[in-house]
Amino acid sequence: MRLLLQLFKSFMIIGIGAYGGGLVTIPLIQHEVVGTRGWLLFDEMASLLAIAQMTPGPIAVNAATFVGFRIAGLAGAAVATFGVVLPALSILFFGASLIDRVKTNRHGAMFREGLQVGVLSLLFYATWAYGSVAVGSLSQFFMAAGAFFTLVLLEGKIHPILVVLACGLLGVFLF
Amino acid sequence: MTAEETTSLKETEERISFLQIFWTYFKIGLMTLGGGFAMAAILRHELVLKRGWISDYEFMSEMSTATLIPGAVAVNMAYLQGRRLRGKRGALAASLGVILPSFVIILLIALFALPYFQNPHVRAFLKGCSLAIAGQIAYAGFIFGRRYLNNIQNIAICIAGLILLFVFKVHPVFAVLSAGVLGYFLCRQKEKRRDALPGEEGA
Repeated sequence: MRLLLQLFKSFMIIGIGAYGGGLVTIPLIQHEVVGTRGWLLFDEMASLLAIAQMTPGPIAVNAATFVGFRIAGLAGAAVATFGVVLPALSILFFGASLIDRVKTNRHGAMFREGLQVGVLSLLFYATWAYGSVAVGSLSQFFMAAGAFFTLVLLEGKIHPILVVLACGLLGVFLF
Repeated sequence: MTAEETTSLKETEERISFLQIFWTYFKIGLMTLGGGFAMAAILRHELVLKRGWISDYEFMSEMSTATLIPGAVAVNMAYLQGRRLRGKRGALAASLGVILPSFVIILLIALFALPYFQNPHVRAFLKGCSLAIAGQIAYAGFIFGRRYLNNIQNIAICIAGLILLFVFKVHPVFAVLSAGVLGYFLCRQKEKRRDALPGEEGA
């Protein structure tokens, strides 16, 4: 029960910080699940996130379900999923009309601009925090860098998931 | 006048049932891969082009609201559009619809595939995937950086955020929210200076 409560709290925090969803949740999950709580090893988490990205649906939701299940079974999956969507849904439930006003309001716009830059800092940080643990050798570094440059050079022409799958297949032959 | 408006609104609302809303979003949740913005294209196709439930303008407006709120963009979009169609209960039907398929699929994978994670080939595959994700995070940073690091204020906020994360090791959520607050105050400062300037010139 205590574990479920902790899980709920952690994923609610992840839900609060996940501006722009998807990839931004990765450093948050890493911080909460691997760092603060030590529920999973980095490699376990990275595997779960890779699967979460390859299955349909929002990455944040998939990741919460998967990580929650891995930590505390079916109840864990339900609690983590509920936790990760709760902040957004309660903000929308209680303040959707307010947000419509804030959005067009210049105060909202000023706050939002800063927020986006904060997400940018987080992405830079995550590149290091995630990358430095994921990359264990020179060949692995080249693979990650290769994925980066492929995405930059073929921007918009290739679905990111294809790059992930290609690296996975390469991994089977190389590692 | 108001009574008329409510009845006409009710009539249009009656056309789309909760089950229809749920089912539509269930399918969207099932079809979309890669989350967030990849989902936007499919949402638009289903709701604006195919069904004509909402207009392009409303769609764009809801898209920007959805990104203003934390969490999965797709879930936020579903909530807002469901709310437009059938009020709060419609919103819940849509949110549940978009979440449920991924929840079930992940549970099935977790139940049947987790044992295979120990297999060396599967592990090598997932290792490769996780390296690609490292590249993908860097790529997201690159895209965001190109868009936002074009003025001194944003560069300052970004550096402040990095210092909070690397030096003070604050919680990432705190760093993101602090950047929002900092951005807000820097913008206000700039506005105040701009407002004060003409007065000084006059004197």
